Amino acid sequence: MNKLKFNYTSLSFLPILVCIPLGYQLITNIHFGGLKLFQEFLISAFNPKIDNEIIIIVINRLNETILIGFFSWLLSIIFGAIFGILSSNIFYKIFNIPNFFFIIIRVFLTIIRSIHEIIWGILLMQIYGINFSIGIIAICIPYIAVNSKVFAEQLETIKYESFESINQINAPKFSTLLTLIWNPIINTFKNFGLYRLECSIRSTVILGLFGIGGIGTSILLSFQTLNFRELWTYLWSLAILIILSGLIFKKIKFNNTNKILSIFFILVFFITILFSFSYFLYFIFNNNFENFNYVSSLFKSSSYLGLFDFLKLILETIILSLLSTGIAISLPPLLIGIFDNNTSIIFIKFFAFLLRLIPTPVILLTLLTFNNPSLSLAALTLGLHNAGITSKLLLTNLDSQDKRYYIAMKSLGISKKTSWLLGLFSQQAKSYLAYCAYRSDIIIRETAIVGVIGSVGLGWQLQESLSSFAFQEVTIVLIAYSSIAIVGELINGKIKNSLT
Amino acid sequence: MNNTLLELENISYKYKNNLILNKVNLKINSGEKIALLGKSGSGKTTLISVLNGTIKPTQGVVKLFNRSFEELDRKQKCKITTIWQDLRLIEDLTAEQNVNCGLLAESNFYFALKNLLNISSFKKAHKYMQLCRLHSSIYDKKIRELSGGQKQRVAIARSLIQGSNILLADEPFNNLDPKLITTIKNLLLDNVDKNNKKNSPKTTLVALHRLDLLNDFDKVIGIRDGKIFFNIKTTNLKKIHLDKIY
Ligand SMILES: Nc1ncnc2c1ncn2[C@@H]1O[C@H](COP(=O)(O)OP(=O)(O)O)[C@@H](O)[C@H]1O
Ligand SMILES: [Mg+2]
Repeated sequence: MNKLKFNYTSLSFLPILVCIPLGYQLITNIHFGGLKLFQEFLISAFNPKIDNEIIIIVINRLNETILIGFFSWLLSIIFGAIFGILSSNIFYKIFNIPNFFFIIIRVFLTIIRSIHEIIWGILLMQIYGINFSIGIIAICIPYIAVNSKVFAEQLETIKYESFESINQINAPKFSTLLTLIWNPIINTFKNFGLYRLECSIRSTVILGLFGIGGIGTSILLSFQTLNFRELWTYLWSLAILIILSGLIFKKIKFNNTNKILSIFFILVFFITILFSFSYFLYFIFNNNFENFNYVSSLFKSSSYLGLFDFLKLILETIILSLLSTGIAISLPPLLIGIFDNNTSIIFIKFFAFLLRLIPTPVILLTLLTFNNPSLSLAALTLGLHNAGITSKLLLTNLDSQDKRYYIAMKSLGISKKTSWLLGLFSQQAKSYLAYCAYRSDIIIRETAIVGVIGSVGLGWQLQESLSSFAFQEVTIVLIAYSSIAIVGELINGKIKNSLT
Repeated sequence: MNNTLLELENISYKYKNNLILNKVNLKINSGEKIALLGKSGSGKTTLISVLNGTIKPTQGVVKLFNRSFEELDRKQKCKITTIWQDLRLIEDLTAEQNVNCGLLAESNFYFALKNLLNISSFKKAHKYMQLCRLHSSIYDKKIRELSGGQKQRVAIARSLIQGSNILLADEPFNNLDPKLITTIKNLLLDNVDKNNKKNSPKTTLVALHRLDLLNDFDKVIGIRDGKIFFNIKTTNLKKIHLDKIY
């Protein structure tokens, strides 16, 4: 047992070995031209620009971000729940639908999920132009599929006995379904759905960097014009927004028995569905489909992408994912283990917060000030951003953990670091790795974001093909990208199952 | 007039090469009160699951009103209600919401929604909960906050509120004290709702271990290793019968 625990512990540290090739490439690519810019970037963090003009801009831009973020959250939660129900076993059992449809819908959702919202955004913007609702749709497509997976997983926890007993009452099928799924759906909304608002806002910011509007667009513009003080005004205001969006829901206590609140939610639910359908109809009838003709003619364009180049891109994307995952897994426990004192932990927490706050493209652009673009740099960026997320989880779990072993070991005279490793971290290692497996799913999808800017992998090729309107190439790249994500999800699912 | 309600013809049920029910033949007539005896693992729960249609037998036919289960529509299947040995309540809903689930069959989707939102009428539910001697303080408690005996009675109330002709009860007296057992036994065997004609004649089959309660039943069925050993009038029950099955 102890040996096993130790294995999980060492598995959490081993991936740091990715730093060897990564560091090598980074060092050979270093240049000092932009060091001064980097310095300026750091100093501006403590000296953001604050005047009437910029505050008005911030408020306007944040409004856009909040609107896109909020509506994409609302839609993706509601339709996520609906698709979650449609892809759950219980639905098929109650309505006696052949399993064939169940497989179709699951495969469909898996494919949609495998493509990052940035790619949906870039594609849709290319076809329909920049438009408020395109941002919402781009976020909603993968989010609905991700949320539906979580809802479906929760619906699988319904006991077969409960199903049988309600079924035996022989109620109308929809009543049976509703009665059985009610609590799992509400609990998933409370535990998972509320936290997704923050994710929607982050995704809106990233889409903003690609031109959809909101604070993200301002962030990119201020970076491009090297207005670092302005940049930090936007970043800090975004930080406030993200912290507030987390707090608001923590303060509201959702009570199932509150009738007015329940009726309010039901109303929101139906109004959202009605609104979406009417928008959908509006979209269909107001679109003259010229765009589509234009797109379909482009499909006939031939691809200049050679097989060798293509395989190279796939390999790059896989390596990028592996390197980033290695950093995201090992960096947090390593840093926390080495610097295990209160001041350092506060510093680590702050640093992790910054890494989560600053959108990955901006991190990458910052690093580019003193390093030439390379695969390693893109991997470092993605790894650092995700390490910010894994370290938050690790620190929270370490905080709430039983510290008796740790104290006992220290009192035996074992060194502080060893006691931390064997007494504290080793208890966490397994669940930490399970979470990292889930995280690496997301990392694979996010390779698209850094790929576009860092000119590596399929993400970069996608941008290239899109800007040269080579839609056949786009299709090939999308298929490759989505296959990698799906295979990754399957492997990670297996790893997760063996860890829980 | 043929008043057979439920009929098992040559039923066998196999689970992973174990013969759990072995060529069972059984007729349940309208208005009969039947006690089902047998030690643990003898097949009582399995027999009840075959009778209410949740388990499909490996062999043989189950008939309700002389028709096999596949031919019946939803309303006809509602004629059977079950009190499960493991209760099968919905843990996250309140006691009164669970009892209201018994009304789902005769109501529409809107009622199901109102029940979950806690804005439906609980008048009928409370009436049945009172009959089961459940105190009003537990009406709006979640199932997992209740004691074993309280859960048991919530399950009984949910079953009785359905107003079905045929009641199958699997060890319904578990977790109940002697006084409650008498109350519940009278509820299960008498007509609960004398004003409601729909409820008359109540046909009941109860699996139980309490031999002292047998006098209230018309018939006794003894089961052992998935085989029916006797199916006789209670007045004819002798000690040798019981020796065979225990
Ligand atoms: N789901 C099941 N899986 C495996 N064996 C079962 C299952 N259900 C019942 N059995 C077996 O069937 C036999 C009869 O069980 P059951 O009908 O529950 O008996 P009783 O209710 O009289 O205690 C037992 O030997 C039991 O082990
Ligand atoms: Mg039993």
